[in-house]
Amino acid sequence: MTLDEVRARMKAAGIEIAENRLEMVRRLLTDALAPVQAFDSRGARALEPAVTFDAIQGAEPRRDDDDE
Amino acid sequence: MTSDDLAYATILEIATRYRRRDLSPVELTKALLARIERLDPALHAFVTVTTERALADARAAEAALLRGGDGKPLLGIPVGYKDIYATRGIPTTAGSALLADWVPEDDATCVTRLRQAGSVMLGKLITHEFAFGIQFPGHRFQPAKNPWNLDHMPGGSSSGSAAALTAGLVHGALGSDTGGSIRGPAAFCNLVGLKPTYGRVSRAGVLTLSWSLDHTGPMARTVEDCALLLQALAGHDPADPASSREPVADYAEPLGRGIRGLRVGVPRAYFLEGADAEVEKAFEQALAALRLLGAVVTDVEIPSILASWAFLAILMAEAFAYHERDVRAHPELYGDVLRERVLAGGLILGSEYVQAQRLRARLQAEMLEVLRRVDVLVTPTTPKPAPTFAVVWDPSFGFPKSNMPPFNMTGLPALAVPCGFSSQGLPLSLQIAGRPFDEATVLRVGHAYEQATEWHRRRPRI
Repeated sequence: MTLDEVRARMKAAGIEIAENRLEMVRRLLTDALAPVQAFDSRGARALEPAVTFDAIQGAEPRRDDDDE
Repeated sequence: MTSDDLAYATILEIATRYRRRDLSPVELTKALLARIERLDPALHAFVTVTTERALADARAAEAALLRGGDGKPLLGIPVGYKDIYATRGIPTTAGSALLADWVPEDDATCVTRLRQAGSVMLGKLITHEFAFGIQFPGHRFQPAKNPWNLDHMPGGSSSGSAAALTAGLVHGALGSDTGGSIRGPAAFCNLVGLKPTYGRVSRAGVLTLSWSLDHTGPMARTVEDCALLLQALAGHDPADPASSREPVADYAEPLGRGIRGLRVGVPRAYFLEGADAEVEKAFEQALAALRLLGAVVTDVEIPSILASWAFLAILMAEAFAYHERDVRAHPELYGDVLRERVLAGGLILGSEYVQAQRLRARLQAEMLEVLRRVDVLVTPTTPKPAPTFAVVWDPSFGFPKSNMPPFNMTGLPALAVPCGFSSQGLPLSLQIAGRPFDEATVLRVGHAYEQATEWHRRRPRI
């Protein structure tokens, strides 16, 4: 990641960082994102399901003939 | 027993002396308060010493002892809390100017559990700012120093917890671990630190750094002490949405069973890259010791291990989500390093965060697959011993590669135990990780190794 890319992201996010700290931020983001950018996600499983449910205790069991 | 011996006694040794009536909780508490007064001005382990509370807890423990102990497993055991654990009526600063005057109305669940177990609260222990920054010279809170060498940092972010235990100022301490903040300070200070399985110990009432990576857990001077603290802490807490209902095992009883036939996996890729020669040597000697104890040691591979550092993208994005309102409104109340680390998290794209989580899922699946073939994984806890303050205060110092985050990413239990010293006299450490909720096996391996070696018996000259 270049310093210009860091500045572009700052502008888009509305975030201000002192100019003399930008190199530290650039290195931090480069390290953090290196595995992500090297990742070919097409073969990876999705994160879904985001939520799962258990039956609420005390509910009446559903009967097959309910739909009839 | 000298006063130093008392300060470094194990929890079971103290409990035995209490039962024999040759030591009382008030006596021990007063001795430690005097020791803190004498040593802490040079160490800065404590933010707040809770003298009145400590003496009240000690008197209550004394009364309970006269009644037979009331079944409290940590009766009269002096402990300290990293200053991100909320404590009712006691300032909780997170090492931050932002919270310098905050006095919580409730205790964190962990604080409640240790109190119910009979412990004595000696005080609050300094943390790196919000468990993520570093205290530079001039920071509102002074950094804790490493009792093995005051020019070196004790690790972080549970820095005060490590310094206090190492100096014999407390008999147990709590830390928190988002990327190694329990295990790192334990490693740098010749201590035992356990990051339990995600969901094993409640985080309710503990300030957040990164919801999906944060863990709470015990730090101590021996594996057995760590197991006893975990026993009091573990268990479901409805106040923590990530808290598990998995039954709590007995952690202390199996410690002495040995490790004959136990399968130990060694993932060399990533974990030994960049390690100091002295760290590698100590690690190989630790493997030899495990073999001598009867363990079957084999190399294993975790194909996606090099992607572990995606941890940093998750940590930074979640930390920004937590701090966004405050850091935008009051940036001047954040220390230099923390402010930029938090703001950098706001520069991570949503898609990058999601891909980092997908990498995490892959890494978790691979580790679980490896842990079907071996019982535990062992690595050096840190690739190098504790750095000097001069090194970490250098503006070019970044966020160094670490062996600990893979187990925050995967949520697996991981323990740091002492495994040697560098030629400079700085501690080295072995990391033992295991299957989800199998802290008992991780602790058993750590205990077997610890009992076969002498490293944990060394004390710093203070």
